[in-house]
Amino acid sequence: MRLPTVDDVEKLIPRPEDFESRARGTGLTARVGTALGIAFAICFLTGIWSHLQYDPPGWLPLGPQPTQLYRITQGTHVITGIASIPLILVKLWSVFPRLFIRPPRGPRALLVEALERASIGALVGSSIFMLASGLLNIAQWYPWDFSFRATHYAVAWVAIGSLLVHIAVKLPVIRQALGAPISDAVDDDPADDVHDDHDDPESLTRRTVMLGAFASAGLAALLTAGQTVPFLRKISVFAVRDGEGPQGLPINRTAKAAGAVEAASDPSFVLEIIVDGVTTTLDRDQLAALPQRTHELPIACVEGWSRSASWTGVAVRDLLEMAGAPGRSEVLVRSMQTKGAFGTSVLPARFVEDHRTLLALQLNGEDLSLDHGFPCRIIAPNRPGVLQTKWVRQIEVRS
Amino acid sequence: MRAVRAALLAAGVAAGLWGVWLMRDFTSDRLVSAGTWLAGGIVLHDAVLAPLTVAIGVVAVRLLPGYFRAPMGLAFLVWATLTIVFVPVLSGQGGKPDNDTILNRPYVESWLVMTALLLVAAAAVGLLRRSRATRAAAPDPK
Repeated sequence: MRLPTVDDVEKLIPRPEDFESRARGTGLTARVGTALGIAFAICFLTGIWSHLQYDPPGWLPLGPQPTQLYRITQGTHVITGIASIPLILVKLWSVFPRLFIRPPRGPRALLVEALERASIGALVGSSIFMLASGLLNIAQWYPWDFSFRATHYAVAWVAIGSLLVHIAVKLPVIRQALGAPISDAVDDDPADDVHDDHDDPESLTRRTVMLGAFASAGLAALLTAGQTVPFLRKISVFAVRDGEGPQGLPINRTAKAAGAVEAASDPSFVLEIIVDGVTTTLDRDQLAALPQRTHELPIACVEGWSRSASWTGVAVRDLLEMAGAPGRSEVLVRSMQTKGAFGTSVLPARFVEDHRTLLALQLNGEDLSLDHGFPCRIIAPNRPGVLQTKWVRQIEVRS
Repeated sequence: MRAVRAALLAAGVAAGLWGVWLMRDFTSDRLVSAGTWLAGGIVLHDAVLAPLTVAIGVVAVRLLPGYFRAPMGLAFLVWATLTIVFVPVLSGQGGKPDNDTILNRPYVESWLVMTALLLVAAAAVGLLRRSRATRAAAPDPK
């Protein structure tokens, strides 16, 4: 008896030509890959857009118009990410045999091959990471130790970068494949050397697999998009949220989870407005006695759900005027919350100037419930939900 | 085309390195966790999901009568990819116990209905194809 040699082990590993399905081929890979590339571009751009809302740079004039913009960009981000999952699975399936191509001989060819494999490893790893972490995050499931926001952002650059490298490497193959009918075996795919894709009624064709991938992507979107697209609410049976909640609106974080129950239910609550070191205080009855405005505005969460509601309260600019703040002020809003992130938010002057930016006291005609931010909360047009600070205790004008 | 490819390559390498640079301040715990997820996705796909799919295909081709292979293959594609999309809502994980406005739908029931619909549709298409083929092959009744 002898020990197995490298050759013996190598014989046990399948070769690309061992895979039976005739539906694989460059025509399919290039088409599904193009759709996936477009989806990734949409996800990347809308994702960058979302990060800019959290930390707006000086050069970008983010403001309250258009009212529904963030709702649309973030809804698109999440819907497109979800639709990408069937596409990437079919794309990876279509090239899976290539994983078993044997390394070429010669140091130069070996180096090129190693570099290409490394770039594909980065692409596949970062792509799966982006889709998986995003998918879990919208269900508020965090089985990891990294910071979702910072890591999803950094890896996005790795994903889009390795995608560009992949397109650069494959461009001639992609052009050739897209220029030919999907069923033609005109490529360098070793699986095609032994199989044709001619009409065999018994097995899947490339065209069927491609249409199946697109149908599955469309279904994935349709069955989840109702958390942000109102008319799909009933159809989207797999959406993380059905759009319902107390006072007709879902909740992202409860008062209990934010550690705000005690302070928010204290009947001796007063709101502090600080202008140039001078503090003005108002209790809730005094706030309710001020001129009230009612506006229809959406809560648009970074997790991809959104819903419009009718909000009633005092315009922040009216409050500031009353407290003697100069026009065009930027304000810092502090919450009573004691747990979790986003206990403060900055309202740039552009938002403060808009009379629809409210310190809301009521939601859909009723006093805010504790989980919606009682005694008062910020609601402004075109902002991510986490910046719509709940359980407001203090508004400070920043000079 | 050379210039386009060179530009794509340069932009891609720059964007990728920028992403790595953004992680420079991550603590080692966070890096290990992120690295586990990055590599874990590849391992899960290449070592589990893809071989499982191939194995299912090999078995299905040998077990299923001819006319059912294509419709069942298509139904499997849709079923498997959608099931992976719905893993978080089906898992019973996620959400918070004090918030009933998230994960508040009967997801498992919907998934069972989806599974049954796909199976029935694929079986119906298979039967239709078979009856069409036998009719075409049968001698003219006249």
